[in-house]
Amino acid sequence: MSYLTLSKITKQFGDTVVVDDFTLEIAKGEFVSFLGPSGCGKTTTLRMVAGFEIPTSGKIILDGADITDKAPNQRNVGMIFQSYALFPNMTVAQNIGFGLNVRKEAKETIKQRVDEMIALINLEKHANKYPYQLSGGQQQRVSLARALAIHPQVLLLDEPLSALDAKIRVSLRSEIRAIQKKLGITAIFVTHDQEEALSISDRIVVMNAGLMEQVGTPFEIYNFPQTQFVANFVGSLNTAKAEVSDPATGLLNVDGIQFITATDIKSRKKGDAIRVSIRPERFSFADNQKKDNVLDCTVENITFLGSVVRIQVKIGEAKFNMDTFNNPFLELPKIGSKEQVTCSKEAVLVLDE
Amino acid sequence: MAQTALNPKSSLPASGWKNWIGVLPFFLFAVLFLVLPSLRLVMGSFADNEGQFTFANILQLFQEQSILDAYWLSIRISAATALGGGIFGFLLAYSVTVGGLPKPLRSALITFSGVASNFAGVPLAFAFIATLGRTGFVTALIKNLFGVNLYQQTDFDLYSFWGLSLTYMYFQFPLMVLIMAPALDGLKREWREAAENLGASNAQYWLKVAFPVLLPSLLGSMILLFGNAFGAYATAYALTGGRLGIITIQIGAQIRGDVLHNPGLGYAMAMGMVVIMAISLMGYSWLQKRSERWLR
Amino acid sequence: MNLMSRIRRIPFWSWVWFLLGALYFLLPLYATLNFSLRMERDVIGFKAYIRAFEDPDFLKTFLYSNMLALLTIIASIILIVPTAYWIRLRLPEARRIVEFITLLPFVVPAIILVFGLIRIYSSPVNIPFTEIRILQPLTTFEVGTDILIIAGYVVLGLPYMYRSVDTGMRTVDVRTLTEAAQSLGASWFTIIVRIILPNIRAALLSGALLTFAIVVGEVTLASFLGVPAFGPYLFLLGQHRAYEPAALSFASFLLTWLAMGLLQLVSGEQGQAAGAH
Repeated sequence: MSYLTLSKITKQFGDTVVVDDFTLEIAKGEFVSFLGPSGCGKTTTLRMVAGFEIPTSGKIILDGADITDKAPNQRNVGMIFQSYALFPNMTVAQNIGFGLNVRKEAKETIKQRVDEMIALINLEKHANKYPYQLSGGQQQRVSLARALAIHPQVLLLDEPLSALDAKIRVSLRSEIRAIQKKLGITAIFVTHDQEEALSISDRIVVMNAGLMEQVGTPFEIYNFPQTQFVANFVGSLNTAKAEVSDPATGLLNVDGIQFITATDIKSRKKGDAIRVSIRPERFSFADNQKKDNVLDCTVENITFLGSVVRIQVKIGEAKFNMDTFNNPFLELPKIGSKEQVTCSKEAVLVLDE
Repeated sequence: MAQTALNPKSSLPASGWKNWIGVLPFFLFAVLFLVLPSLRLVMGSFADNEGQFTFANILQLFQEQSILDAYWLSIRISAATALGGGIFGFLLAYSVTVGGLPKPLRSALITFSGVASNFAGVPLAFAFIATLGRTGFVTALIKNLFGVNLYQQTDFDLYSFWGLSLTYMYFQFPLMVLIMAPALDGLKREWREAAENLGASNAQYWLKVAFPVLLPSLLGSMILLFGNAFGAYATAYALTGGRLGIITIQIGAQIRGDVLHNPGLGYAMAMGMVVIMAISLMGYSWLQKRSERWLR
Repeated sequence: MNLMSRIRRIPFWSWVWFLLGALYFLLPLYATLNFSLRMERDVIGFKAYIRAFEDPDFLKTFLYSNMLALLTIIASIILIVPTAYWIRLRLPEARRIVEFITLLPFVVPAIILVFGLIRIYSSPVNIPFTEIRILQPLTTFEVGTDILIIAGYVVLGLPYMYRSVDTGMRTVDVRTLTEAAQSLGASWFTIIVRIILPNIRAALLSGALLTFAIVVGEVTLASFLGVPAFGPYLFLLGQHRAYEPAALSFASFLLTWLAMGLLQLVSGEQGQAAGAH
């Protein structure tokens, strides 16, 4: 049962189509991320839900009511901004109480709700401080409390973590998710950071150039990207041109090297040009395990990335990255040495060329 | 002259005082042409005719009705033009920043304000005589359009309180535009959106967020405008020829010849002015700091 | 929302304020121009301008004021650039006091400044505690008065000049520039003349233009010190002529416009207000 429905939303600025035919159904209590590079239309879509932009065509239905043309201050939708947007002339408590204040709620009600919210974000000691006296992470928590104080039907988060330090970003991320789950509130989270989207969401909408590329759970998006854009944007990926050798058995030919895939390619013909993609962590050096693909390769380069070591290997003429977890007992091959790598047939994804 | 010499931390303990030689000419100049003249007035206001220390001049300042009147008139004119120029200048700055007027109008207004806030003294006085004097352009226009003779049928007189105030406004509100435009730019779009998002109407946003945020710079700028008008001399002198007894004109008369027949009282009058200017400048900088903290 | 946003898109009141402001700006200018062109009965013409410019006293005072402005600008630069440079480089602890001094002219308006200057420098300068005179009263001879008035103008322009120069030095980071030049073996003279000055020339120019705008039409100091400058000349002209002063007023507006226009060009959108009121 859909709680928030965006149906055939299109938004144009002049001649530029920023969002094109966007349709999405979000269930109550769901946490959905819009993921994509800047300019992909994710923020514009969010702003249409908030009412700051009006769709050129299409409808937005929230809990059965059409809110497409409603003024922002007539919607009951909480928004969190990248720059926090706290009112500098108000204390933490006054900021949080603002929404109830303009609704002319009773003083007692406001105070009670504000206390509740301040406890929720653990800023009891800072209730009477001004925004400029708080750190970025604290300010964003206040902003979260301010948006939640009005009991919004939907919570909108516009890159809320982008302005913060790496460490705070990770801890606030889980805090936001925990609060969202606790309150059971429906949330839309806009980000360009794939790790953020993967870790926080129930579902991810990957967008590019105003179009939806793929909608799915983080697991689906990461493991079964349906388009080359998604495959490239989410996680790091090896792709190579290939052609179909045998549709029935899933045999592919990459520059003369045979790969076998678990992807169903029965609908394709022998000789069709396609593209294979394999995540770096799905490769490993040949061991006793029986694997579907066992491939001769040359080690070209080795890069330390902290917890992971990335090894570039050349299989036939195609270059692939393989990632292996770092540990002190790791025995790395020499650059230029001949090795064998393996991967399962499920790891070999087939995308349209 | 090695690298170490450039590092103040390493060079300071040994030869810190030597560095002050570099700024000596500046201090010498400031003492000779700014500090000494000011001190002379301060000392003079505490000395009687024989050069002995006295508070008599200061006390007399508060008893001499003509001086009190002059201060009061200056304060009224400065306050009126600070308020009027401040409000009007704010509205103008509003209209070209967040008020939604086309961008080119903004640069036009800012350029014009830069010129007008520097256009003062004798030329400004003549311009207003040509506009609102007895035979002025606007005076004639009003007579032709509405059949009202400003000088015969109303109390209006260019060489009076309101006339001088209108003239001062010509450099007051452009100054306000120059100060307020950046402050209005400091209002973040997200504040408005956050307020709307939380259910506030446009009026509530202005009342509860934008206006309180701007208030310190608004007040500070008006105080600056007050000082700007309070210290003005040339415009008033050129316009009224010394007939309107504002404090700067009284001081001018005292310089030309000891019209008070008491030099000490003249110095005290000048010092009183400096005190008022100093208070207004301190008020301005205090409020400015406050608003910078918010609008960062 | 559509209705709301459309209302917001027609900024009715903004236009009202803007047009009122434009009217306030332009009416006095138009009135002055209109008046200055009517010297001859029933004819629109430039007679007032020709008369005004032909007056030998006009040329004399105008040139004199321009010379004062030029000398003031040079003196300001010589005084302020090394000071500001030294403070950035070696003496950051002097910043507060120097900034305080540069703000003093806001507290001591021109009329008070000239009052004090006259009272001090209309008496001879003696060696302290003796009767040995080292300097005639500055106000009693021409060069002395010129020195006094230029010093006064440097003071009036101090806040603007210092702030321009200091901002200029901050934006080009003179400290790093100096260190780089020194590591390449440049002498102090070379550093200041070939590195610092060229890099802050926009700031110098904007300070200079503001100083020019203050000095050229200045009346208060000039009339009390009795120098033959343009401001007092214009004032006196206004006492017994009608059309020529209007013509010169309009012309000096154009001059201010020119100075401020140039200022906009060199420094972007920060046409600061000067204080020659």
